[in-house]
Amino acid sequence: MSKSIEYVKKELPHEIKTIGYVLLITGFIIVILGYMTDITRSLYNNIIGFTFLVSIGVGSLFFVSLEYIAGAVWSTPFRRIIEFLSSIIVILPLIVLPLLLNVNTIFGWTHPADSLMKAKAPYLNINFFIVRVIVFWLFWVGFYFLIMKNSVKQDRTKDQFLTKANIKLAGIFMPVFAVTISLAAIDWLMSLAPKWFSTIFGVYYFSGTVLAALATGTIFIVLLNERGYLTSGLKRDHYYSLGALLFAFINFWAYIAFSQFLLIWYGNLPEETVWFLARWHGDWKLFSIGLLVIHFVVPYFGLLSQPSKMNPKTLLIMSCWILFAHYIDLYWLVMPNFYKEGIIFGWIELGFPILIAGIIILVFYYRASRTNLVAIGDPKLERGVDFRL
Amino acid sequence: MDSVDYTVEIPVIEGKTTLGEFDELISRPTITNPDRKYYIALSISLSMLGLGVIGLTLTFYYGIGMWGNNIPVAWAFDITNFVFWVGIGHAGTLISAILFLLRQKWRTGISRFAEGMTIFAVMTAGIFPIIHLGRPWLAGYLFPYPNQHALWVNFTSPLVWDVFAVSTYFTVSLIFWYVGLIPDLAVLRERTVNKIKKIIYSIFSLGWRFSNRHWQHYDMVYLILAGFATPLVLSVHTIVSFDFAVSILPGWHSTIFPPYFVAGAVFSGFAIVQNVLILVRKIFNYEHIITLNTLERMNKVILLTGSMVAYSYLMEMFIAWYSGIQPERFVFINRALGPYAIEFWIMVSCNVLFPQLFWFKKIRRSIKMMFAIGIFVNVGMWMERFVIIVTSLSRDFLPSSWHHFTPTWVDFSILIGSFGFFFTWLLLFTKALPVVSIAEVKAVVKGSQPTHGIHS
Amino acid sequence: MMSNKTVYSYTGIFETPNQIVEAAERAVKEGFTKYDVNTPYPLHGMDRAMKLPPSKLGYVALIFGLSAALATALVLGWMSAIDYPLVVGGKPLFSFPAYVPVMFEVTVLTASIATVVAMLFFFFKLPNIGHPLHGTEYMKKVSSDKYGISIKVNDPILILPNNLFDESKVVKFLESVGAKDITPVYWDEEEINYQNKILDPKFMAFLVAVAIITCAVTYFSLNVLMNITPFNWMVEQQKLSAQQNSNVFKNNSGMLAPIPGTVDRNSMPYQYTGQPDSAGKILINPIPVSSESLRKGQIKFDIYCSPCHGFYGNGSSRLNGQFPNPPTLHSDKIRNWTDARIFAVITDGQNVMPSYSSQLTVDERWTVINYLRSLQRAFNAKESDVQ
Repeated sequence: MSKSIEYVKKELPHEIKTIGYVLLITGFIIVILGYMTDITRSLYNNIIGFTFLVSIGVGSLFFVSLEYIAGAVWSTPFRRIIEFLSSIIVILPLIVLPLLLNVNTIFGWTHPADSLMKAKAPYLNINFFIVRVIVFWLFWVGFYFLIMKNSVKQDRTKDQFLTKANIKLAGIFMPVFAVTISLAAIDWLMSLAPKWFSTIFGVYYFSGTVLAALATGTIFIVLLNERGYLTSGLKRDHYYSLGALLFAFINFWAYIAFSQFLLIWYGNLPEETVWFLARWHGDWKLFSIGLLVIHFVVPYFGLLSQPSKMNPKTLLIMSCWILFAHYIDLYWLVMPNFYKEGIIFGWIELGFPILIAGIIILVFYYRASRTNLVAIGDPKLERGVDFRL
Repeated sequence: MDSVDYTVEIPVIEGKTTLGEFDELISRPTITNPDRKYYIALSISLSMLGLGVIGLTLTFYYGIGMWGNNIPVAWAFDITNFVFWVGIGHAGTLISAILFLLRQKWRTGISRFAEGMTIFAVMTAGIFPIIHLGRPWLAGYLFPYPNQHALWVNFTSPLVWDVFAVSTYFTVSLIFWYVGLIPDLAVLRERTVNKIKKIIYSIFSLGWRFSNRHWQHYDMVYLILAGFATPLVLSVHTIVSFDFAVSILPGWHSTIFPPYFVAGAVFSGFAIVQNVLILVRKIFNYEHIITLNTLERMNKVILLTGSMVAYSYLMEMFIAWYSGIQPERFVFINRALGPYAIEFWIMVSCNVLFPQLFWFKKIRRSIKMMFAIGIFVNVGMWMERFVIIVTSLSRDFLPSSWHHFTPTWVDFSILIGSFGFFFTWLLLFTKALPVVSIAEVKAVVKGSQPTHGIHS
Repeated sequence: MMSNKTVYSYTGIFETPNQIVEAAERAVKEGFTKYDVNTPYPLHGMDRAMKLPPSKLGYVALIFGLSAALATALVLGWMSAIDYPLVVGGKPLFSFPAYVPVMFEVTVLTASIATVVAMLFFFFKLPNIGHPLHGTEYMKKVSSDKYGISIKVNDPILILPNNLFDESKVVKFLESVGAKDITPVYWDEEEINYQNKILDPKFMAFLVAVAIITCAVTYFSLNVLMNITPFNWMVEQQKLSAQQNSNVFKNNSGMLAPIPGTVDRNSMPYQYTGQPDSAGKILINPIPVSSESLRKGQIKFDIYCSPCHGFYGNGSSRLNGQFPNPPTLHSDKIRNWTDARIFAVITDGQNVMPSYSSQLTVDERWTVINYLRSLQRAFNAKESDVQ
């Protein structure tokens, strides 16, 4: 049973680098122009972009940790791809910088007016806010470096102790992740409406995070596997597991979203319903219904059947769709605080998506050029490649 | 400790039992007569049940006044027990359905038993919504049948949703359990020499003949049932949580209740299943089928769900403070320092502290420690439901309406009776049906599957 | 060749999973179609080896699930918004979010039951306790630890003329794939023409019996059991109902007739029965004419007098032709009667007209008379009234 996995490191085509740069620069220019034109609107788009990248970056790190701590084998052959995506964590400071410089403009709690706002001031104040942003990022980047280092080192040494070390790191990271991702969601998304609160909000953002990370990972995995870059070769069984996870988390997102909605609708308390009413006002009504269709109905039926979960083309399309849906979700969370009458869409809104696409491609490209695409030293690799349902 | 080799798969079934020996081993309890230990266990559970029957009779005859319930604490032990038992039922479905969907082979040794526990737990739970009515003989009114009262049930009420959820859950679990039993009943049919038993097994195995043309559809249906049972189990405890969360009571109206309750249900359910399995594997000598690795994995699930419960506690407390609303903040101060502080702190230590010990491999693999932690978890989870229900009700918005709740001996007798009810069914089950799924276990034994021809 | 027994199939036993998978692949290659593989648990890859088409049970679940969801939403909406609409908690009558939990549960329940029923009764045609393989040594082995293949003798490639089958071909095939214990399996006498139909008379009879028993039990519980205290809605009470026996009074009666001469409360005895003219001379209308009294009088007149006298008192009424027509009330004779004379007619009746003393109280009669007077004035209006 000891057949060695042959891995031939293939260079990713240079066109990818070109595409990445084109997107990056185009996006960057649009963003700069946007800031020069309408700062507040750009800032809100910035928040969407930032939380979107956090989802993918930190979500990917979550997945890597999950594999270690659960002892899963089916994901080992492509874990390295997810690790590359978690590198996004490193460049997060660049995206958050404009936000930190303009906290006063974005957040209403920077000017607490009444006693209710003052009661929240111990948490919602600029200093503590910035400290949190920095500390959370330090946690994320710290765990990223440690886990990544061990995983890459294992390529050379094939030392099983490194797996054990990563399992320990993953175990510590999990509670850290739970707290930091929830508070990040509360800080960046929930406090945009500072008088509103919902205990499930952290879980809501988490469900979107998992989906975004999974979807992005699936896109890269399918594209690379179908073109033979993962010479260990993933089979239908691996695709099915990815598809099943995507399907499961689509349902989970819908469950969390519906729970939040139903309880607030049912209780009918004005301090809570105001948030949903804002998203039912004017154009936002159509958008809310659209979100349900885009984020739940379409992917649900798209990934329901067994064959669809195994088909790489379907997985690719559905993953792109789900990423789009996640962006829409974040837009729905953020924008109604800014523009109350309805959907606002113009060239400014395109800036960050294009920029982000460029960032993801380039980050991945540069990591892939220096590191193996498959974790060839991982002891579970052989079992992972042999994985059958 | 010993270092693990990650290149090797941990065997699900240990030892070198042959397929035929499995038949003998698993069907033995259904063939042999019960021994003295069995009768002792049964008499204990029957006495507990008897105590509950006394309590119930008094309740029916004299009314709910026999309990400690008052206004404003109109729900106390009754609903605490209801949520507790429904929660315990969830572990079984999770093991059968969710672990099946996740392709975790280690579930095969424990799924039959766990599903049986689900059914008995749901039956026990179903008693409480009926007995807590002032006029339980009118319980049929909860169903929307055409009637002459010119009135339908109120479909916007979570209590009605409960009716649908719990009955659906019971029915689907029963069907799922039965579908899994069909091949095993056929095995018993082939082995038995007792004429009456042969007739019974023949009828209930429906004439199953192990044909692969049937296995193909059977596998698909099992997958579909598992695929349905998974969201079903999540929905049932979600709907139970809605009983509280749709209100506007501080401490109850919290959007995180649905996943929080589901995690808590799996948490307490796994703890009881783990406890009972420790006893079962010892008594029936199934240690190589219900292995220590299986128990360790269950403890990991207990650790995971316990952490989710701990997260929910923290998030609730934080957001209660964050909301700035004084009654919300008061709820948690009251829980920690008020008249039910003892119950609160028992809950926190049992649910948050003790399960975290499972980070340590030594504790995860120690039978004595895990058994003790399992019991603590159950105590803690019962306390959690009690704390949520009673503290929020006894002290809500208007201090002039505050009132303390004290349980009566009838409350306790019904609680003890519910355990008696549950364990009686469980004991009868172990003698009547195979407690391990014979066909599923055989399918995961080393060497039981073909090695060629499986390239996709 | 053999006795009266007919052969059903030839069976062979295999020891390892690999062997049986190979055997199945060979069977497909040889062209066998009416064969089956029996294993104690499902083997991976066996479906592919037998080239079985994928199971269609998923569609059953999908169709039943979607229909159940839609039906539940409609039924719940109809119950809450159309049939007996009640505003609960200030929510709209058709509150879709509130229906979602019940929709979900009913969907899962329906789809699960439908799929399992479809599998067992339609796909498997179970229960089938009479299958020839039951009770054989073969079945004992394949239910426990061996793997088996069973080739039906009516497989097209085995059929020979004269209803015979090619025994040597099937035995040779089984030997060539390495089967052990190659034995024929025979039909039981009773089973040979067994057809498991849904419309089996015994099954139908069973269903009918279940229906009858259910009806009887329902009837008994709802109409007999539920009439026992405390289920019976306080139907039986301690108080004395009208006409009920009791030992309060003699003759076991709980009621007595009023003593002769008892007078109703709030009433004065009418002394002028049979003497309408005297009443007309002595009594006086105590109700002053006012718009209030006229309004009340009109209501009562319309109810009690108009059927015969018409709404205008001129005798053109809805009982025309069905009942003797009263003379118009606007004749000089009646206009010249005193109020009290009319009162006497209403109280005692006259000719065909019955007494209305039980329908109209004393005061109501006077207000009716006031109204009548206004009608009479209207019918005989003078020019001065119009101004």
